[in-house]
Amino acid sequence: MTRIAIVGSGLAGLVAYATLRAGGVAADEISVYGDTADPAAAWRMRAEAIRQRQMRSESDGHPFPRTFPGLAVREAARTLDPAPLVLSLADRYRPSVSTFLDAVERVRERSGWDSSLEPRRVSLVTLCHKGFRVDDHGSFEHVLLALGHPGLAWPDDRDARYVHAYEPHAFARRVAVVGAGMAAATEWRNASADGAEVISVRRREPVLRPLNLPRPFFTKRGLDEYRRGDRAAFLEAFSTPSYPRELHRDVPVAREVPDDAEQVVCATGFLRGYAHDPVLARLVAEHDLPTAAGRIVLDDDSTIPELTDGTRTLAVAGVHAQWAFPAADTLAGMRWVAHRFLRRCRTR
Amino acid sequence: MSYTLRGRIESRLAAAALPLAAAVGWSAAARAWWPLELAALVLAVGLAFDLGAYHRLLAYQPGWAALPLGALELVVVMLLVRALEIQAPLQPALAFFLLAWLWAQVLGHAALPLARLEYAEDGGELGRAGVPLGVAVALVLVTAGGVAWLTQPPTVRLHGVVDGPLVLDHAQTLVGGIVRGGIVITADDVTVRDVTVVGGDNPIEVREAHDVRLDRVHVSGAREDGINARQSEVRVTDCVVDAPPGTQGIDLSFAIDAGMSSVEGCVVHGGDVGITMHAMMGEIEDNVVVSAAWHGIELTEMSMGHVRRNEVMRAGDASIYCGDHSVCHVEDNRVVAGRGPAVLAFYHAGAHLDGNTVVRTPRPRHSSDSTFDVD
Repeated sequence: MTRIAIVGSGLAGLVAYATLRAGGVAADEISVYGDTADPAAAWRMRAEAIRQRQMRSESDGHPFPRTFPGLAVREAARTLDPAPLVLSLADRYRPSVSTFLDAVERVRERSGWDSSLEPRRVSLVTLCHKGFRVDDHGSFEHVLLALGHPGLAWPDDRDARYVHAYEPHAFARRVAVVGAGMAAATEWRNASADGAEVISVRRREPVLRPLNLPRPFFTKRGLDEYRRGDRAAFLEAFSTPSYPRELHRDVPVAREVPDDAEQVVCATGFLRGYAHDPVLARLVAEHDLPTAAGRIVLDDDSTIPELTDGTRTLAVAGVHAQWAFPAADTLAGMRWVAHRFLRRCRTR
Repeated sequence: MSYTLRGRIESRLAAAALPLAAAVGWSAAARAWWPLELAALVLAVGLAFDLGAYHRLLAYQPGWAALPLGALELVVVMLLVRALEIQAPLQPALAFFLLAWLWAQVLGHAALPLARLEYAEDGGELGRAGVPLGVAVALVLVTAGGVAWLTQPPTVRLHGVVDGPLVLDHAQTLVGGIVRGGIVITADDVTVRDVTVVGGDNPIEVREAHDVRLDRVHVSGAREDGINARQSEVRVTDCVVDAPPGTQGIDLSFAIDAGMSSVEGCVVHGGDVGITMHAMMGEIEDNVVVSAAWHGIELTEMSMGHVRRNEVMRAGDASIYCGDHSVCHVEDNRVVAGRGPAVLAFYHAGAHLDGNTVVRTPRPRHSSDSTFDVD
């Protein structure tokens, strides 16, 4: 019997699937629904678009169910070079994109991902007797919504000069890069390397920090503080674009897109909020789920409390789980949600 | 990792479990308490730092921090070992700490994250295993402490003047009083503290005993030696010995295979020889030896040891004597008004001299078959 469904076949779905398998759940108990068999497909396309070579995350930023061995240990063992370990001790290790993608491929192969994959897009999750119906594919006791980002964010007024950083593009001679985050910093370099004249369009100075969030917020210690405070205000404060100091590059800055820019690269990230995702928007509307600042209010284990009880689980992973775990859009955050989802699947 | 307070404590207890078990086995095998005392001290120091400092000061602890924090804990542990007089030999104690630290790193970085999926994200907490683990560690410590308490030597308190000789033939601590006619110690693990002993051939005599401690004893009226030990491991501290002419103040001899003996912080007055060791490994430190007719301090008959920071005054033939194939480290002593040489190395002896002060005393000298090594 298939009793668990993962809706979404991206990285969050893969991490959850691998965690369930590592936790002893059989492959035939899980169905994964998604557009593509390659869990890194969307991520890979974006990384290639901004010519990303290194991850922002550190050794723990991997898709395996356990934190150890991390990517630093695996790379050191593979290359017989202790440098990744030494760098990791000082939080200076940044795995290459290829190292990360190799890890994704390994998890995909070893977990049996393809055997549980149903290549269909899900548009509707509804409550039914003792569980949830996922479109018309059947009913499940436990469902994890690993839906990913709902789409790319664009500036309001755009014309033919505009391209998004996360879509394939070449550079013109005079390029304006809108945004001040990781993608923007990478695009400043890319455009300059291609001989373009670059101008940064931004309204605030960039925030330089190694990770999306201060490190304590990746563990229970910081989480306790986060939960005691104003979550919406916290998430708003930390949604400010940022990137690691070593990526910084001094480029001319403008507050508006110059008229003479031949190309405008929008490093403006993704649409935010459940309202942009049809599955979540429908769930909120149908069940009148509480929301705050564009986010569904989740329980501390990333489940939707109004739709979860002793017999069924509806949980959320990825960026939409930030109410429960502020770094939910990172690999560590996906693993955190997966661990809690496993706990519910094991004990029901 | 960002530990929670509970996570720090549970991880610390988890890391301490194996060293503690090893220490229990070690203590049982060696019939000594110091391995267990050391393991408990390492755990206590770690927990004290967790509670008092680390949790408040380290919201996030990078991997490299384990090195300086480990070094800090090592220094504090070793200072406490000394302050609490835990009888842990230096090298085994260091090895124990190092192995326990390495085990903690393996456990914290690899084994626990492998065994428990949520270990890192729960800030080092062990979930349902945490409380039983704490109880188990506490049980081991309480049980061991109970056994130690129940098996510790009894304390005997003397009041007033007691006629001797007293024979101490089982482990005990003898405190206070005045004993006339001497004390004979034939058992291991005996401590004599704050006792005045008057008269007898050897007012304090130790025979084939280990872990004997003579602390703040006052000895006088000896017919032979004030304190005389044979084939024994003895630590004499802060004593006062008044040695009549023709006797020796302190004579610890013939126990080169019994470990280190020592005489520290004593005042010895008179006698033919103040402090002597024959065929011993020993340390003679921080003593004051006055008016010995022959030798103030003596290491002889293949002895090896240190003579440090002593003050030897008005000695006769030699203030510090290193004789008969002995190897002596003579350092930072002050020799005043001796008749013979300040240091004499005689008959195939080798003395290393460093930092000694010689006042109104002939210079150090060695026989032709002996050597001086001077820094």
